[in-house]
Amino acid sequence: MKLRIHSNKRLLIQLLVLLTIISFLGVVLNNLVINLIRTGMGISFNWLIHPTGFELSEHAIEYSPSDNYVKVLLIGWLNSLKVIIVSLVFATILGLIAGSARIGKNIFLSQVSSAYVAIVRQIPLLLQLFFWYFIGFLNLSESGFAPLGSIIELSNQGINLLGVKLSAEFSAVVLGLTIFTGASIAEIIRGGLKSVSKGQWEAFRSLGIQESIGLRVIIIPQALPAILPALTSQYLNLAKNSTLAIAVGYADLYAVSDTVITQTGRAIEGFTLLLLIFLSFNLIISIFMGMVNKLAIDKNIK
Amino acid sequence: MRKIFKQKRIKTGHFLDGGIESVINIFLVLIIIVCSFKAFNWILFVADWTVVTKNLHLYALGSYPREYQWRPLTWLLLLFSTILLTLFKNKSKLVRRFIYCIWIILIPAGIILHSGGIGLAPVQTRYWGGLSLTILLTICSAAFALPIGILLALGRQSDMFLVRNPCKLYVELVRAIPLIAVLFFGQLLIPLFLPVDIELNRVLRAIIAFTLFSAAYVAEDIRSGLQSIPKTQKEAAQALGLSNIHVMQFIVLPQALRIALPALTNQAIGLLQNTSLMAILGLVELLGITRSLLANPEFIGRYLEAYIWIGFVYWFTCTAMALISNRLEKDLSPDKSDRINL
Repeated sequence: MKLRIHSNKRLLIQLLVLLTIISFLGVVLNNLVINLIRTGMGISFNWLIHPTGFELSEHAIEYSPSDNYVKVLLIGWLNSLKVIIVSLVFATILGLIAGSARIGKNIFLSQVSSAYVAIVRQIPLLLQLFFWYFIGFLNLSESGFAPLGSIIELSNQGINLLGVKLSAEFSAVVLGLTIFTGASIAEIIRGGLKSVSKGQWEAFRSLGIQESIGLRVIIIPQALPAILPALTSQYLNLAKNSTLAIAVGYADLYAVSDTVITQTGRAIEGFTLLLLIFLSFNLIISIFMGMVNKLAIDKNIK
Repeated sequence: MRKIFKQKRIKTGHFLDGGIESVINIFLVLIIIVCSFKAFNWILFVADWTVVTKNLHLYALGSYPREYQWRPLTWLLLLFSTILLTLFKNKSKLVRRFIYCIWIILIPAGIILHSGGIGLAPVQTRYWGGLSLTILLTICSAAFALPIGILLALGRQSDMFLVRNPCKLYVELVRAIPLIAVLFFGQLLIPLFLPVDIELNRVLRAIIAFTLFSAAYVAEDIRSGLQSIPKTQKEAAQALGLSNIHVMQFIVLPQALRIALPALTNQAIGLLQNTSLMAILGLVELLGITRSLLANPEFIGRYLEAYIWIGFVYWFTCTAMALISNRLEKDLSPDKSDRINL
């Protein structure tokens, strides 16, 4: 009898939750329909095949204002992908260096690294992006300067790396994201390496195994299970943060969607598309990290 | 014994042992000396700090009407003294109970002092700004996100299908979306979902968006706190005859919250930093007011001074938050040995 009362109560709670959700959605959608009728907008995706009529400063594939909105969103996606991949690689390298410097033997390097983390993590990313864009790049002269001869040239037009021209906007976003995410990755690396017990270090050292080999064979395989999940969520954060590129005028997916929505007035449709397209980045990163994870674990078992 | 080892370590030195390492060290020292010399030189002699010194009131309060500026100032002062009161907690129970009440009152007080009402002249949200708006956004969103996050975390732990899955769906969905999209939703789309005659102001819409966003992250932090509580705790409490709700309220949740505290502080710090995104979406909080100052012909090109200044303000505020949380953690720790007595 008691059990029945209990299960009845559970059923009631669930029904109540369901009812609340449905009625909330009902009210909200009803309001939406009323508002859409009032403004005469309705919901439609026909506008997607109309010509955009606006210029883009940066496009990976051929683009002209007479192209349609599908193409402009594709270009936004490609631009975002470019920023995410490049920053991801650089941030990982920077994080690895800073994280291992932090726990390394060299006291001086570890101090520098911990100062870097302490400063960068307590300042908003958006401010850092403004900093790198307005002070790092736009402050440079037009002719630019080349610290390493003809290999790399910096100017207010951006970076010229061995003839490959990178715009100032792109470079600033990559620099900002790299430095910001690098600090978080450094913390993850440090935490991961520290999670391996001290005895493991002492054991391989006392066996006379070289530092670099011991690190590769003994320490890193044990640290990876702690590092990889946190690293994945940092990469996802990086993808999400890349949408701040709009602040310096880089035409990433969000910036393009924003322009499209302003121009067509199709807020609901544009926003839905933005979310759906953005999920592809999460998917790519998750699948990639899943593969890395599998590789790492397979190697460990062998 | 240990002392000998330590001395030996210093003597043989990591500073000058390997060839490469010493070169790196000397190189680094040189770079740092040159950089700090240049930085000091710039700060003291080259930089023109008028963009900061002339506009301190703007950084603090935005373009809030001068005759009412005492209102946000009072609120900031109230907030500051409440923090101090919390940190240097009195032993008396009355003050302790009082503190929770003050914290709860601070939120409506902040909104009323900014917006007016109850005998105060109304001030439109477009005049709100600066640090006071940044802090208002942070505190209000955090205060709303915490209970919602707790409910979501508890819901996600539930074994009831229709409770668990909606919570899971919400948390996973929101965590997949960039914040700026949520804020955009708040500014442009929330009005579409509201009845025609209800209009929310920009700040309120921003607070709603920040709350919706942060609640999902808070829920995840609390969930990991809940998961770290051993099942035996719950079983022991149940064996003592406590009801399910009481088990949660008195046994599981307090422990989970304490464990989640560092993660929650990080969320709060992240929230404060993230309020800067409203600068893109048209509020003149700390970063927004700096951008509009830099558009003023009088201060044009003074990017470096202005950005370094507010960078410092953000850094100082966030570091202070982290330190306060450290202190709270130690205060709340059940282990008496690392409790600080004042």
